[in-house]
Amino acid sequence: MSDTETGETIGLRLTRQLPASPEAVFDAYTDAEKQKIWFSILDEEPGIVEIEVDLRVGGKQTAVWGPNRDTLFREEQTFVEIDRPHRLVTESTGSDPSGDEMSTHVEITFEPHDGGTLVTVVQTGFPTPNVRDFFETMVWVGALDRIEAYLTRV
Amino acid sequence: MVQQQALDRAFAALADETRRGILTRLGDGPATITELATPTGMTLTGIRKHVDVLETAGLVTTEKVGRVRQVQLGTERLDDAMAWISFYQRLWERRLDGLEVYFTLHPETTHGTKHDTEGTES
Repeated sequence: MSDTETGETIGLRLTRQLPASPEAVFDAYTDAEKQKIWFSILDEEPGIVEIEVDLRVGGKQTAVWGPNRDTLFREEQTFVEIDRPHRLVTESTGSDPSGDEMSTHVEITFEPHDGGTLVTVVQTGFPTPNVRDFFETMVWVGALDRIEAYLTRV
Repeated sequence: MVQQQALDRAFAALADETRRGILTRLGDGPATITELATPTGMTLTGIRKHVDVLETAGLVTTEKVGRVRQVQLGTERLDDAMAWISFYQRLWERRLDGLEVYFTLHPETTHGTKHDTEGTES
C-alpha cells in the first residue's frame, strides 16, 4: 500500500500488560464508577474527576479532571465501535484549560496475553505529516539549532 | 482547523535563515530590534519585518520597554502541538497506570464476569 503518504498523520501507540482478564479490563475501563476510582488512584492530592459513560455506538464517554475548577482538562470520546471484550474504537476530542481542542481517532484492543490482558492504544489524527516528521526528528525544548538542521535538510 | 493553520504559519516562518538566526539569538534571552540587527548588518526595518513574521506565527512576542521594542521567544504555537501529544500521552499513561494499580489493589475484580454476564450486564 502506498496511499499513506498524503493521508498519514501523527500517531501515539501505547501498550500495557494488565493482570486481569480482557473482560475485567474492558469492564473496568468502560464502567463510570470504576473509572472514577482508577482514574485518580495515583493522584497525590485529591483533584476534580468527573466521569460519564454512555456505552453504546454514538454514545459518549466524558472525563473532566484537573487540580481545581480553574484548571480543568476534558476529554470526550464518542463510541464508534464496541466489541466487548476485544476492541473499542472512539473519536476523541480533548480540551485544555485554555479551551483549545484537538480531535483524534482512538482504537483500543484488549488481547489475552500471559494470563492477563495486553492493552494496546493507538491514537491517530494529530495534524500534518510535517509536524510528525518534526516531532520524530527532535524534541522541541529550545533546540533551535536542531530546527535549523532539520529545515536545511528538507 | 485553526491550530493547523497556526502551525503552517510557524513552519513557514521558520523556513528562512535570518529568522532562524533571530530565534537562535533569542534563545539566549530577549533582545531589542537594534541588538538583533547589529550582527546581521541588516537595516532595522528589515529586521523588524522578520520579527513581524515571527510574531504573526506566534514564535516571538514583542513588548515595549521604555522607548525600545523588546523581542523574546514565544514558542507557544509549536509548544501547543507538542502539548497535545503530551496531553494524550499523559492521559493514556494515567489510565493504564491507574488500571494496573486498580487490579493490583482489587485482585477479586481481575477475572471479569465472563461466566455470569449472559444477558445480565450491568
